[in-house]
Amino acid sequence: MTMMDNAAAALSLVAQWGSLLALLVGVAVGVVAGAIPGMSATMAVALALPFTFALEPIYGILLLLGVYKGGIFGGSIPAILIKTPGTAASSATVLDGYPLAEQGKSGQALQMALYASCIADLISNLALILFAAWLASFALKFGPPEFFTLILFSLSIIAGVSGGSLVKGLIAGAFGLLLATVGLDLVYGTDRFIFGHPDMMGGLNFIAVLIGLFALPEIIAFAMNGKDEREGGVRALGDHKLPFSEVRRCMKTIIRGGVIGSVLGAIPGIGAAPSAFLSYSEARRTSPNKENFGKGELEGVAAAEAGNNGVCGATLIPLLALGIPGDVITAIIIGAFMVHGLQPGPMMFATNGDMIYALFMGLILSSIFLFFIGGASIRLFRFIADIPKSVLLPGVLVLCVYGVYAVNNSVFDILVMFAMGWVGYLMMRLHIPAAPFLIAFILGPLLEDNFRQAMLMGQGDFAILFRSPITWVFWALTVFTLTVLIRNGLRDRKAQQGRLAVANKD
Amino acid sequence: MKSIKRILGASAILATAAMPAFAADYPKRPVTLVVPYGTGGSTDIASRSLTNVLGKHSSHPIMVVNRVGAAGVTGSVSVANARDDGHTVLAARVGSHTINPAMKRTLPYTLDDFRFVGVFELNAVVCATGANSGIDTIEQLMDKIKADPGSVSYVSTGVGTLLQLASIMIMDAYGIENPLAVTHLPMRGGGEAATAVFAGNATFVCTNSSDLASFVANKQLKPLLTTTKERLPAFDAPTVAELGHPELEVLVGWTGIAGPANLPDEAAVQWGEWLKIATSDQGFVDHLTRMGSEVVYMDPDESKQFIQHQYEVFKELVTRLDLSVE
Repeated sequence: MTMMDNAAAALSLVAQWGSLLALLVGVAVGVVAGAIPGMSATMAVALALPFTFALEPIYGILLLLGVYKGGIFGGSIPAILIKTPGTAASSATVLDGYPLAEQGKSGQALQMALYASCIADLISNLALILFAAWLASFALKFGPPEFFTLILFSLSIIAGVSGGSLVKGLIAGAFGLLLATVGLDLVYGTDRFIFGHPDMMGGLNFIAVLIGLFALPEIIAFAMNGKDEREGGVRALGDHKLPFSEVRRCMKTIIRGGVIGSVLGAIPGIGAAPSAFLSYSEARRTSPNKENFGKGELEGVAAAEAGNNGVCGATLIPLLALGIPGDVITAIIIGAFMVHGLQPGPMMFATNGDMIYALFMGLILSSIFLFFIGGASIRLFRFIADIPKSVLLPGVLVLCVYGVYAVNNSVFDILVMFAMGWVGYLMMRLHIPAAPFLIAFILGPLLEDNFRQAMLMGQGDFAILFRSPITWVFWALTVFTLTVLIRNGLRDRKAQQGRLAVANKD
Repeated sequence: MKSIKRILGASAILATAAMPAFAADYPKRPVTLVVPYGTGGSTDIASRSLTNVLGKHSSHPIMVVNRVGAAGVTGSVSVANARDDGHTVLAARVGSHTINPAMKRTLPYTLDDFRFVGVFELNAVVCATGANSGIDTIEQLMDKIKADPGSVSYVSTGVGTLLQLASIMIMDAYGIENPLAVTHLPMRGGGEAATAVFAGNATFVCTNSSDLASFVANKQLKPLLTTTKERLPAFDAPTVAELGHPELEVLVGWTGIAGPANLPDEAAVQWGEWLKIATSDQGFVDHLTRMGSEVVYMDPDESKQFIQHQYEVFKELVTRLDLSVE
């Protein structure tokens, strides 16, 4: 069959009420599931899987893709409204999204998240359709040494989100790296810092840590103060309409986030979190509003969500081009393919070309559906921001407990969450930023695993960390970032000393 | 009036007669089936397919609950310590119940902490190497290891997993004196591990056939041996018996249902019946077969014997090569 024949056959597959309905239901279920703290996109896709066994293959796979896309966007809703990120990736959205909600601009933040998600999603889908083969062969060049240098570079983001004091940021980062080592050692299988407690053998559940660190300190602080700072206890609704000029202003950031997401998403095993963080730090580095990042900057939300959703379409690149699952969600989707007797991989373009083109069309369509369903859900969820804190926060606390329990059905995780809540509260009081802790905690295991795998591959020779041009690029970027940081730090100090000297003279 | 009463009475009798299973003492409330591995993995999918079928035959729902962590240990411990009224059971797996107990000295449970009610799924081991590795047979691979152990590496999903133990056991069977001199590259997941071999970052992988099916079908990996009795249609590779190593047939992945040690008899009997029903359900068999598994039914005694035997073989290897970890 030629490409045109395939496209025509695909159109007849997608242009059925069943396909459209499956996609629509999928996106809607995904958005709602993603919006519930503790329900991640992964869980939603896994739960939807058995329902697809009985469906036509095209319906089933479109349904799963819809849940996936909806779920990733849905995660931004609680991140912005109640500072409760449901996944590691949406924690970057919290950094600016929640301050915006505090300023009564939750409507704008949510809309920006939606625009950024849909546009980045579209970019990612186009990358899949146009560059799948090329990106897949690039992605295969990423072995442990390349991963290690990429993650090392990503850690330099910590400097960008440290706020006023780099030292405090580094302390938080080191603490995050330390907690990430709890659990079984990957290479030797020995216990590390588990203090004889079987519950800790699996490490600290990161959803519990995330929610404890972000959502709980707010609640503890409110309980300590006993009253809302704002008169009447109601957050001003503010102007919830996002002016289009704002979207245009952030367009460059959104596109950059989408491109970062598309490249990183194509690499198996990275996931959405590094992409969201990288997109965020790049946006901050180049923005004229640099100072406003972390205090409620719409561009920050746009960057985080674009980086987060830009991964979506691209994770299908290794799946369709090579038949390799890029992450847990695509592993489930491969399962759905195989249950229907379809074999994802390079041969599928020849054997089931119509199916592939139907998927492409379904993906583009899902971005459009997401735009409308997401828009409708914002109109519903936005009212959460109007609830007085004295009513809202107890509800959030209940949701947090339920959500953390739901991830792994473990009471121990709830204890971890409360312990991290107090740690987060202390950090808040001492003005130690939470974001560097979190980034280190999420990237720490990746950094360690890949370093040790690289060392095993190279039989202890450090030369393997410089084995390919990809590693050289990331080493250069890391050195460059550190140099700029140190130079700026010295310049700021000099400027400060200069000011002090002037002040002393006066 | 009388006739209506009679009809009602008759239909009541009919209704009770039609649902003998529902009249049993077990289950009294919803049953939790703990899966000690992540959503979407092979244990998870097998368990969810199982509960899908059993939903029609149980008076109360059976819920799949994932308790992930530490290569299956976290979930297994939670069932070993659960209330032994039969309403919490475990989807036990080769990694959590024969390999980990054989290898990990500090494991917080032993096989005696569980009562097995049946094994319902088997998944043979296949060894494979990259399609462009230049290695075509298992003998070539073993010769390469003998010549220079350090130049060869194999992937696993961590210490105490089937992937690690299978690789070591096969090397041992082929007379490699020190299998530990071969580089062991642990990865975080089965897909990642197979991808590393495909991308050329490691030499070979030995794992469940289902994890490799897609790679082999796409001609990205080349299968070298299978531990099945008969050749697998999707894998063009000799069986271990053909290769003269039938003792390696013990290397097989499995999923079974286990409860805490004091699981009541009525629960064990009911689960045995349920497994019988599921393993003869065509839809269930089809799903698992397409995922690369073989559906079997082993009664409690057979299961216990099967698991105990596998454990002892593994334990002997672990002791002889000093593979145990703290």
